[in-house]
Amino acid sequence: MKPVIGFAGLTHLGLVSALAAAAKGFRVIGYDSDAARVAEISARRFPISEPELGEIANNVGDLISYSSGLSALRDCHTVYISTDVPTDDNGASDLSGIGALIEQVAVVLSPHASLVILCQVPPGYTRSVRFPAERLFYQVETLVFGVAIQRALQPERLIIGCAEPTRALPEPYQAFLSAFGCPIMPMRYESAELCKISINCCLVASVTVANTLAELSESIGADWSEIAPALRLDRRIGPYSYLKPGLGIAGGNLERDIATVLRLAEVQGTEASLLNAFLINSAHNRDWVLRILHQEVLDLQPQASLAVWGLAYKENTHSTKNSQALALIACLWPWPIRVFDPVVPAAAAAHPALAGARDALDAARGADALLIMTPWPDFKDIGPHDLSKVMKGDVIIDPYCVLTPAVVHAAGLRHFFRGARHGLDRELVNA
Amino acid sequence: MLDHLNSVAANPPRVVVIGAGGFVGGAILTRLAQAGANVVGLSRKQVDLLAENGAASLLDHLREGDTVVFVSAVAPARNSHQLIQNLQMAEAACKAMSQKRPAHLIYVSSDAVYADEANPVTERSVLQPSSFHGMMHAARELMFKAQVPVPLAILRPTLIYGARDPHNGYGPNRFRRQAAEGKDVGLFGEGEEQRDHVFIDDLAEITRLAIVHKSRGILNVATGTSTSFRAAAKLAVVISGNNSAIKGSPRQNPISHRHFDIVDSLKSFPAFNYVPLREGMQRAVQAEAS
Repeated sequence: MKPVIGFAGLTHLGLVSALAAAAKGFRVIGYDSDAARVAEISARRFPISEPELGEIANNVGDLISYSSGLSALRDCHTVYISTDVPTDDNGASDLSGIGALIEQVAVVLSPHASLVILCQVPPGYTRSVRFPAERLFYQVETLVFGVAIQRALQPERLIIGCAEPTRALPEPYQAFLSAFGCPIMPMRYESAELCKISINCCLVASVTVANTLAELSESIGADWSEIAPALRLDRRIGPYSYLKPGLGIAGGNLERDIATVLRLAEVQGTEASLLNAFLINSAHNRDWVLRILHQEVLDLQPQASLAVWGLAYKENTHSTKNSQALALIACLWPWPIRVFDPVVPAAAAAHPALAGARDALDAARGADALLIMTPWPDFKDIGPHDLSKVMKGDVIIDPYCVLTPAVVHAAGLRHFFRGARHGLDRELVNA
Repeated sequence: MLDHLNSVAANPPRVVVIGAGGFVGGAILTRLAQAGANVVGLSRKQVDLLAENGAASLLDHLREGDTVVFVSAVAPARNSHQLIQNLQMAEAACKAMSQKRPAHLIYVSSDAVYADEANPVTERSVLQPSSFHGMMHAARELMFKAQVPVPLAILRPTLIYGARDPHNGYGPNRFRRQAAEGKDVGLFGEGEEQRDHVFIDDLAEITRLAIVHKSRGILNVATGTSTSFRAAAKLAVVISGNNSAIKGSPRQNPISHRHFDIVDSLKSFPAFNYVPLREGMQRAVQAEAS
């Protein structure tokens, strides 16, 4: 008989992981103390936005059930703790919620069930949890908003923190993990906890390299989009490395891990100045749009009106936590703005003269400059020729290069994106 | 970054500019008066902060609840004696202001507080002065912060140019005067170093904005655009209409550059625009001619 898997905490992580478990053919119980949330999810009205979410929910049918009663977890063989661990302004984790949840769940668990911490905790946390060590595990999650389902169904590997890595995993837990058909990597709790952080530090390092050299490319007439593919073909760098330039690191989880390493390094006296450099670089890149906007539009046209596409913190999500668009809009209070986001309502932005538009083209109507702050796939379908007809000005600030530069140029618009400044090569020759 | 305690800009009841006899203080006084502020300027004639009764003398001119702009300095401080003089002046001012507390204090410091190699400079760059002048400003910032417990705005201007600058230091002011007189414009090396030059009127306006918004925190006062000394010299010659030659000289020091990232300024005062170097130099020529 296949083991029954429980998830305590129907967060973005919890819900996606639970659906993925059911999709692998396991019976799954999803628990959350918020009865209203459970009712919505049971009715397949999901509080999160992910591609294929609805489809998977339909496919798994009755294999998954949800409850706001803890006792529902009683018959589970393995229960994941999948609550959110909030962070403060300094990126420090507030662990009081997860601690309380673990205590509640431990009370109802059957004597042989395993408890697996799936949320992000600082190194040392799992070993401090009061629960029989041979049944307590920490599993690294690598949730990526917007591609969460795909990653949950097809993980590259499963990293399992154990009290004793040489001891076999409990049979039901092993059976469940094996269903994912990827390497299972048991290691010490502390190693697994630091492994999660190490992965994120490597990602941040790549992003920081990309942003640093993309900015330089913009100044010297190089084009980062020509450079990055060459790097990806280098075996030491790799095809999936994070080399797409953007607006710094964002989302909160990467910042949390950097803060954790800095805190640990301070306590232990190890050298970690690189991580401070990541933060400084990220803060600088975050304001890229604001700089270009002032330089190309606002300093020259004090009466400018602006259009913003995208409020979500990234594409395919409803989340506005750490949204670059909202942070930018807060710095633009003297200028009227029209906004459009496929999911997030305009009311999410605080601004004295902000109006929501019915669609992307409508938002751009009459604007001196268009700022594409979230790379939603829908925006790729908007023709620059249509934009040039409705816009008053000719400036498109598109950090993620959602629109195609040649087409934007052909439409008579000026296109500013990360990694290159087209036209600069000619200026350099003429200088 | 500055944060604004006044959500709506408003002139305070009274502004006292300490150091109003100087190039910077005078420009701030003029700008505030133009903008309708009730402003009092104190120069060394009214208050000598280095005198034995410096603190008491300043106290006589202050009222509780004033907005105080502190610009007074023996500048640039080139040696330890001048460093200590400047600290004595700040000490006298701290003493007076701890007895009659202002409602708001603005200290005009300098970008010399930052490390020479801090590029691009932001308000979060590390303080690591390499000169007496920079060390003096860093110490005075700390004195005001620690000893005058009121909202404090620290403004850190970079190289300032404009009409009636008495220093005539290497840069746009000297260049335009040399060019106006038809003399050769002299460069150190080939003038490769890039610097950010800020027009005096911009510093005066930023100070006024910080006053009316009752801002606190730190703000660099720089345009965000750096220009080589050679390019500034070329501008000076073009503006003068003369045919002055621009002449390099054997280089004594390695080339260094300074750039500013001014996003904090864009966020603190979004509608404020810095005057570009060419326009500022033209305005300085016109102002000096009139």
